[in-house]
Amino acid sequence: MKKKLLAMTLCLAMAFSCVACGGSKESGDAAATTGAAEATGETAADASGSNTVVVAMGGGFSTLDPGYVYEKYPPVVVTACYENLFKFYTNDGAPEPCLADTYEFSEDGLTLTVKLKDGVTFASGNKMTSADVAFSINHCKNLQGNPSFMTETIESIETPDESTVVFHLTQADSAILSKLTYSALAVLDSAVVKENGGTDAADAATADTAQAYLDTTSAGSGMYIMTSYIPDDEIILEKNPNYWGEGTNVDKYIIKIQPDANTQMMTLSMGDVDVALNMTDDTIAELESVENVEILNAATKTVGFVMMNMNETYGGPVSNPKVQQAIRKAIDYAGVQMICGQGTLTPYDIIQVGFMGSKGERKTDYTNVEEAKKLLAEAGYPNGFDIDLTVTDLDMEGILLTDLAQKLKDDLAQIGINANIVAQPWAAGYGDAYRDGTLGFTVMYWGIDYNDPNVQLEFLPGAVVGLRAGWTAEMNPELAAMYQETMNATDNDARIAILEKIQDAMYEDGPFVMIAQAPAHIGYNTRLDGVAISDPYALDLTLINVK
Amino acid sequence: MEQLKFIGKRLLYLVVMLLGVATLVFILTKMIPGDPTVANLSQRALNDPEIVAAYRAKHGLDEPVIVQYFIYIKNLLHFDLGTSIRTNKPVLDELSRCYPATIELALFAIVIAAVLGILFGIISAIRRNSILDQIVRAISVTGVSIPSFWFALLVLFFFYYKLKIFPGPGRLSNSFAAPATVTGMYVIDSLIEGNIPKALDALSHLVLPGTVLAAFTMGLITRTTRSNLLDVMSTDYIRTAKAKGLGKLGLILRHALGNALIPVLTVIGLGLGNLLGGMVLVETIFNWPGVGQFAYESVLSTDFPSIIGVALLIALNYMVINTVVDILYGLIDPRVRCN
Repeated sequence: MKKKLLAMTLCLAMAFSCVACGGSKESGDAAATTGAAEATGETAADASGSNTVVVAMGGGFSTLDPGYVYEKYPPVVVTACYENLFKFYTNDGAPEPCLADTYEFSEDGLTLTVKLKDGVTFASGNKMTSADVAFSINHCKNLQGNPSFMTETIESIETPDESTVVFHLTQADSAILSKLTYSALAVLDSAVVKENGGTDAADAATADTAQAYLDTTSAGSGMYIMTSYIPDDEIILEKNPNYWGEGTNVDKYIIKIQPDANTQMMTLSMGDVDVALNMTDDTIAELESVENVEILNAATKTVGFVMMNMNETYGGPVSNPKVQQAIRKAIDYAGVQMICGQGTLTPYDIIQVGFMGSKGERKTDYTNVEEAKKLLAEAGYPNGFDIDLTVTDLDMEGILLTDLAQKLKDDLAQIGINANIVAQPWAAGYGDAYRDGTLGFTVMYWGIDYNDPNVQLEFLPGAVVGLRAGWTAEMNPELAAMYQETMNATDNDARIAILEKIQDAMYEDGPFVMIAQAPAHIGYNTRLDGVAISDPYALDLTLINVK
Repeated sequence: MEQLKFIGKRLLYLVVMLLGVATLVFILTKMIPGDPTVANLSQRALNDPEIVAAYRAKHGLDEPVIVQYFIYIKNLLHFDLGTSIRTNKPVLDELSRCYPATIELALFAIVIAAVLGILFGIISAIRRNSILDQIVRAISVTGVSIPSFWFALLVLFFFYYKLKIFPGPGRLSNSFAAPATVTGMYVIDSLIEGNIPKALDALSHLVLPGTVLAAFTMGLITRTTRSNLLDVMSTDYIRTAKAKGLGKLGLILRHALGNALIPVLTVIGLGLGNLLGGMVLVETIFNWPGVGQFAYESVLSTDFPSIIGVALLIALNYMVINTVVDILYGLIDPRVRCN
């Protein structure tokens, strides 16, 4: 009996081993392999022959229809398969013409005329014209999805000829070129999209049915074509044979959706993926000893901030400017950086490091607990006070806001402020309260909507985020006026000058304290060239080559 | 005829139960705090009343709750589970996409759990209180109590990352394209394609996540088999059989196991039902695009139609499995058939 049982157990073990190490040469297009790299010696490098690159990235998105994309990762795919009038070719640079050839602003800044490049074709072979551009922008606008606000300053679009697009703006908009780089405003092959249920009409929000099609393939002029998309699993991009420009030497991208950082670390180490976009401090440490793997650490433009409501009804003691200054002085910025990990920066103020016009970082010796106590006493709170610190269930690039709230609570305890952390889910109250401006004291984050310093103007009094802190334009008319001044400044030098004035004005005053620019960590195989952290696109696949 | 009557009654029961579950989940999802508009629209979009109004109208959120309920039930009777608020696609299509991945993994896991669990249970009962029994009991207790997300990381770390024996996350290796969808289960679809290496590759990807998922159910099955077998072995008819000079193996396989297996079948059924509901953490770690991940994302987005769709699917799983288990009871024990 004992022998029989032993034999049965061994048979089971052998069956598992056979399954794990099974696989023989496959006839046909793909080489045979098992997933275990060791079993066949095969890695991402030779997985499907020639220059195939495998990328692992997080999920959290459910469509790749450019008109709807708003989350962090879809731009990785959209930028590879579609092109925009303008593009960021470097992370901290200015938008440069892509499908645009030349452009010109009218003197009053209310008209932008763009001449298109000649000889651009879509993957279908159709020629790209001004009608496609107008369709794409109107499509995004009328879908009324998350990114539609990007078109709010575009009043109308005129196409006097096939290669000219004239944007009539509702107001001067110095960020319009940056907005036109956004994936949601990518230029679509309008003929193909219309054939598949797309429309740019005013009722597109209900009449457009092209999403199902654009979730299975792409309809752009980019370097790649999306040939397969299995939600929450895998996306495959193959080279566009009709690409009008000069391509890289990568023939195919396999994009694996791997939400877990540890999984990404292991697959990168094993050579099953070439690029892992969601590395963390812990996984970086593990990768340091792995051969052929490089790590990139850099601050993103996603910024965490403390908000103190200026309206006394909601803010209570934190609406007092002296208390706000005390809190600003009490925060241990170096400690916050430690929590957020390698690559974290503390911006000087509302304009993040990396943006045009940024004044860089806040001084590391800014923290001064004694001075903070003095300020608190001047405000009439020599013994501190108790206050609720509301925090939600979101994370800033993987850093839990609750962790930041805990750090803030500890720092404030040093000056006698007893912050009572109140957790509230985003979709169950916090979101509404935050938007309505009824939160008194909170830690939140702000991800940039498009890659331009103007997105930060929303922190000014009377603007979107300013009002969430009860900071009306009347409370600081001079600062509030700088919103429009910046929008009007289509000349970059003029814009930089105003942005610097704004930062100086808010460095020690106002309801917001910018505590950290969250870092991003990317691990990649050294056989690749051109891998770089990108704020607008997360990763620009069109810049990568195999060495 | 009796059998047909039984199945007919079961089907009627199924429809009533599903309507009940749909109503209950609908009420519960509407009662819990959470607004899908806030969960799905960006901060900027939420500031635009036009976008908010269009979004609410598109997903029927501007209707009174009672109207939403009747529309939902009406659609449900037409086999329409509605449109996902998060993905903007029909919920039925979404479930059809991710359910086969879960079925494939769950079936693999339940086979491992049942085979090993019954085997270990028999060993443990035969060698009661021996070292072998202690080892098997330790394995079953570990299987029941080990947190699945931790076990998942552990097996991935050792068997994929360190020992390089099994393939990593995902359903297929990079060199294989997904097979044309027939059943949605990669092993079967690859076999239908006639691609044996692809089928083996898909099968090899099931081993680690399947083992992790099997651990809990295997532990339960081992313990149930052991205790039931010990109970049966102490009954009079077994003593009689022993007295007639029957060998131990024959005694267990021919006389004891059949009776001891009835409660084990219930445990297997419940285990399968549990696995078919999807396992969020294991699916996330193994990059497995199943129902668990879909349910998790739907809950985060307060996507009511998808949440109700998943709840109905889980209820349906249990009902179908219970029916099958009832039929199997009859096959194993003729007394159940007679009743």
